[in-house]
Formats: sequence, structure tokens, C-alpha cells
Amino acid sequence: MTFQASARIALSAACIFAGAAGAAHADPLTVTDVTGREIKLEKPAERIIVLPVPWASTVVAMDGGTDKLVAMHPEAKLAMEEGILGTFFPGTKNIPTDIIAGGESRGFIPNVEAIAALRPDLVIQWGGRKDDVVTPLTNAGITTAAIVYGKEDLARKNMTLIGTAMGRTDKLDMLLKWRDDTTKAIGEKLAGLTPAEKPKVAYFFYTTPDFQAEGEGSYMGWEIDLAGGTNVSTGLDGGWGTVSIEQIVAWDPDVILLGSFEPGLSVNRIYDDPVLSQTKAAKAKRVYKVPVGGARWEPASQESPLGWMWLAQILHPDRVDFDIRGQIVEMYQKIYGQQPTPAQIDAILHLPMNSSGANYGQFAAK
Amino acid sequence: MDLSAATPATGIWRRLEGGGLWLAVFAFLLLAAMLAGICMGRLSIAPAAVLDIIMTQWWPGGSHDWTKLQESIVVLVRAPRIVIAALSGIGMAMAGAALQGLFRNPLVSPDILGITAGAAFGGALAILLGGSGMVLIGLAFALGIAALVLVGLLSRVDGRSDTMTVVLAGIVVGAMFTAFVSLVQFVADPDSTLPAIVGWLMGSFAATTWTRVAIATPPILIGILGLLMLRFRVNILSLGEDEAQSFGISVQRERWIIFLLSTLIAGGVVSVAGIVGWVGLVIPHAARLLVGPDHRILIPAAGLLGGAYLVMIDTVARNATAAEIPLGVLTAAIGAPVFAILLRRVYVSGIRA
Repeated sequence: MTFQASARIALSAACIFAGAAGAAHADPLTVTDVTGREIKLEKPAERIIVLPVPWASTVVAMDGGTDKLVAMHPEAKLAMEEGILGTFFPGTKNIPTDIIAGGESRGFIPNVEAIAALRPDLVIQWGGRKDDVVTPLTNAGITTAAIVYGKEDLARKNMTLIGTAMGRTDKLDMLLKWRDDTTKAIGEKLAGLTPAEKPKVAYFFYTTPDFQAEGEGSYMGWEIDLAGGTNVSTGLDGGWGTVSIEQIVAWDPDVILLGSFEPGLSVNRIYDDPVLSQTKAAKAKRVYKVPVGGARWEPASQESPLGWMWLAQILHPDRVDFDIRGQIVEMYQKIYGQQPTPAQIDAILHLPMNSSGANYGQFAAK
Repeated sequence: MDLSAATPATGIWRRLEGGGLWLAVFAFLLLAAMLAGICMGRLSIAPAAVLDIIMTQWWPGGSHDWTKLQESIVVLVRAPRIVIAALSGIGMAMAGAALQGLFRNPLVSPDILGITAGAAFGGALAILLGGSGMVLIGLAFALGIAALVLVGLLSRVDGRSDTMTVVLAGIVVGAMFTAFVSLVQFVADPDSTLPAIVGWLMGSFAATTWTRVAIATPPILIGILGLLMLRFRVNILSLGEDEAQSFGISVQRERWIIFLLSTLIAGGVVSVAGIVGWVGLVIPHAARLLVGPDHRILIPAAGLLGGAYLVMIDTVARNATAAEIPLGVLTAAIGAPVFAILLRRVYVSGIRA
């Protein structure tokens, strides 16, 4: 290792610790993204563009507002306006989204000129196909950091990147500590759980026209494991795929979770199906739709601990008794500086729809 | 009219007898594939129980040695899938055989008339607009027909259209609708509708229900029966325009009837299963190599073989892994090498002879 390299690492480490002091400072800082690239910033980033969908809301969370989010992916804006962030921060609707080249379906191919015109300090880009999506930005001299999706360790690295680059390590540390505390609390409540006590959980992020499940390496699979369940689709080749109704019956899950992505998807998709209504999950009324708060609760985000608590409570109502509504109020105050109304919390938890499910009364307002 | 009267009887009859044998073999193959298909699945149910469940649907009684869930799987999940796979395979292969004869061109399949592309655009559009079920099937079907009408209008010069202009018009219309499909994908929401469109376009029977079977069956069945009834005419039409005219049939009218029947089949198949490629191209060739070029035998033979092929492919798609393998991938991946071997054999034997 050269002297220069070790000096850089020391510097970036110093910046991370220095940031813990809280206040945004004007010193240059260096952050390292998950692909190992170092990004130098003259000062904490104040004009940020985010392309990977869930992480736009993380910028809002770190800042406690939308001022520093200069542009985002159209899908991220849709999710924010659908969820509660659009209500918390009415300015959301004015944030531009025309930064994707070749339309939304091209995913993350950046419209370099549109991005450059917004004069960002930092662009956060998906690093999965680096040459196609990251290189055009760096070639144009735009400061770019990459994010890769994965399990919790990557989620933490992504959050650390955003928090550090924004000079908000105070918020970051609070959020990371909350993740540690929640993981630990769930672990304690589920201590001594035998494999036989772990319900079989099926999660579908899409149901039309076919059911789509996630396998090994997915964030949802990791969450199910944390919450004391077994992901039935762990063995799915290639991470995710279409599964037939017969395959779902062969798995015979104890609990079915429906993703928050599909518009208009209801738990009746399972209850009204002549075959799926005969699965254990449907018979025991254990079909639930995953909540959407400031971010969707199934992919990794600043709100993940709420998702873990919710899921652990769904899977083990006899052992786990978090006050989810109280947690939402407390944490939304800390994260977004906002106070959700009871009706808004009901909407986040899909209360009217999910209340047909077993034990969902525990999430109702007392 | 009876074509056999117009040709040396001995040759035709020998062929018919040989063909009859092949028909029986293919019919047996189709039945065997369907039986094997219904007994196999990700949920293991004893074949005896499966057969018992099927029998009980018509003749109540039996041992009832199964659960209600197993019955639902066999009756509501496997059976409609196998029926629609068989019908689709029969229809696409027959349409392919008829069109190849009509155009006297071995590279023709229902795709060439732009029908598949039109129907694909309809389906993609329906998913984009948030439609499913009837809306999807209806739009796919309507645009398949629209593509055919467009081809008809484009290729019509002085009240008639020759095969070359029809093929060219089909390619043009197909390219246009393919571009529209790309446009739909371009504006589709990448997190929600886009995966649904891509998955549907790759072809899958995974979402088949009896309702879908009921919607898709009439057009496919009309197409199949129509082609069976007209299979003599395909023989004549395949002689070429002038010769066919000399037999006293209206070439233009007959040709468009066959196009329409093919559209009914392709539209019905695409609307329920997305694009199931290769069957309409490869199976007619395989059948022709085995039974010869007489369409009276070739069309039903291709149909039976196509049905058996698609049922087998779908059984693999359902069973091989927990995730469904897209049909389009399998039909091409298994179809291409089989086709290559068949072609090699014919050409090698042709050269050596």
C-alpha cells in the first residue's frame, strides 16, 4: 500500500469521525462507495441527484427535508407522492425527474446533459452496470458515487455514503444505532426459536399477470430470516422469478406477504383465488400487504427497522410486542421532523385492508 | 373437389396410407404428452390419484383418495394449462403449415403476416394501461386483426394482391407494431408494468385459468377446424396462382380466408400466452420431413405434432425449476437444435442420394 493510499484512507476515516460532531463543516471530505471508488467533495453535498429509486428518500431523511434533493428517478417521485413524504413535504412535486436517458424503462441510463445542467455536487447512481450508467457521468466530470443493492451490510454502506457525503453523520449514527438496537431487540424476543417454530413465508413483489418471488440474496429474504421466518423461495434460481400457482401450493406457506409495488393489489388476490384460498396462509387469514411509509418497507431504506418490527410481529404475535404506531410517531419526528396523524398511520399500515388478517388488530390505534 | 382424381392415384394413396400411420403416431404422442403433463407438477400427486380426480369430474364415485387442494391443482391449474398448450401448439403448427404451403416459402409462419406483432402490441398496451384478463385478451386479439387488415389494405393493388406483396406488407406491418411494442416498453414503469410486459412477451401459460381457456378457445378452434376443412385447397393454392386459377377456384378469396383463419389462431394464442415462437415455423418442417408435402396429411400431422411439442415444452417449463422458465426461451432452445438435426439429415441424404 502506498503512502498516498493509506493517507487517503486515514483522511476518509477522519472525515467520518469528524462528521460525528454534527454541524455541516466546510472542509473537503472524501467518501468511499461500495465499489471502492473514492469520491472527493469540497464541502458536504448540497445539490444531490439520486437515480437508484429507494435512496432518494434517504437524502430527504438525512436532511429532514427535500431542499437538497435536486432531481430523482421518476419512480422514486411516484413512490414519495404515493407515500407520506409528498404530504410531509409538498415541495416534492416540484422536484424534476427528467434525468433518465431514453425513458424510464431504460432504468438508470443517465441523461448526462440534463444532469449537468442541474449543477449537482453529487450524483448517486446505481453501480450494477457501471460502464453503462456510471462512466458517462464521471467522464463528464460529474462527481458520482455508486450504490449497489443487496442485503443489510450493503444497505448500511449505502446509507453511510449518503449521510457522510451530506455531512450529516449525526443523523446517520442515529439511524444506524436504531438498526442495531432493533436487530438486537428482535433477536432477544425471538431467542430460542426452534426451526419448527419458524413460519414459512412467501413474499410476492408482483402478482399480475404472474406471481414473482424473490430468492437467495434478496433483501426481503434477509428480513424474513431476521423476523424469525423461513423464506419459501430461497432456492429460486437467479435471485427472483415467476412462480406458478402450483409451486406456491407445493410450498404451502404459513404467511403470504404481498409487495407494495403493484398498484391496486389487494389481499383479496389470494382470498378470491379458487386455489390459493386453500393454502394454509389463506385459511389462517395470514395474508398481508407490506406497508409504505416515507419509503416502501420491503427494500432497504432508512425506515427498514419499522419493516422488521412489523414483520416480526406478524410472524410471532405471541413473542413480539413492539408499539409500531408509537415507533412511527417517534422516529418520523426524529427522521423527518414531522408528526403523522392517526389516519396517516392507518394508511401507512394498510389498516383497512390488512385488518382482515389474523392478529392485525394489534396495529390498530388504541 | 377431389384432388386425388387430378394426380396419379397410386402415389397419393401410398402416401396417404403412410401418412395415416404417422397421424396415429402423432395423435398417440399428443395424448401421451397430455397424460404425462397432467400427472407431473411441482406438487407431487400420485398419478393414480390424478387419473381418479379426472374420472370423478364426469363419473362421480371412485376412491376419493385425495385432498380438495390436490383436486383444485389438477382441475383448476394443470388441466386448463395443458388444454391451452395443446390447442395453441395444434393451432400455431397448422397455421404455419398452411401459410408455408400458400406462400410456397419454407420461412413463413404466422409471425410473417404481422399478426403476432400486432397482438403483442395490443397485449403490451393493455398491461401499460393497467388492464389484465379480458382487456388484455381483447386488445391483443383486436390488434392482431387490425394488423391483418392493414396488410390486406397495403398489399391490395387493382383489387388483388400477390404473395410477394403480402409478405412484404406483413414484414412492414410487423416492423411497425414491433416498434410500437418497444415504444410501450419505453414509456412503461420500470418497477411495475415493464417486468409484466417483458414477462408476458416471453410467453407463459403460468396464469392460465378456465376463464382464459374459454376466451381463447373459440377463435383458435374456429381457425383449426377451418384449416382442416380447407386443407385440400391449400394443396391447390400451393401450386401457384395461375395453376390454382385453372382449377377454377378464386385464389384471392381462398387465400384471405386462410390468412383470417391463421389470424384467429395466432391472436387467440398470443392473447393468452404471449409470444410463443418457433412452433409455427419448426413443427411444419418436422412434420413435412416425416409425412411429405401433401397438405391433406401435413396440416393435421403438423397440428398433432405441434400440440404434443408444446405440451411437452410447457411441462418442462412448469417442472424443471421452482421458477417458471419462459416458454419462448424453451421453444427456441429445444426447437433450434432439433430443427438443425432434421435439416442436416435431409440435406445430407439428399446430397448422397
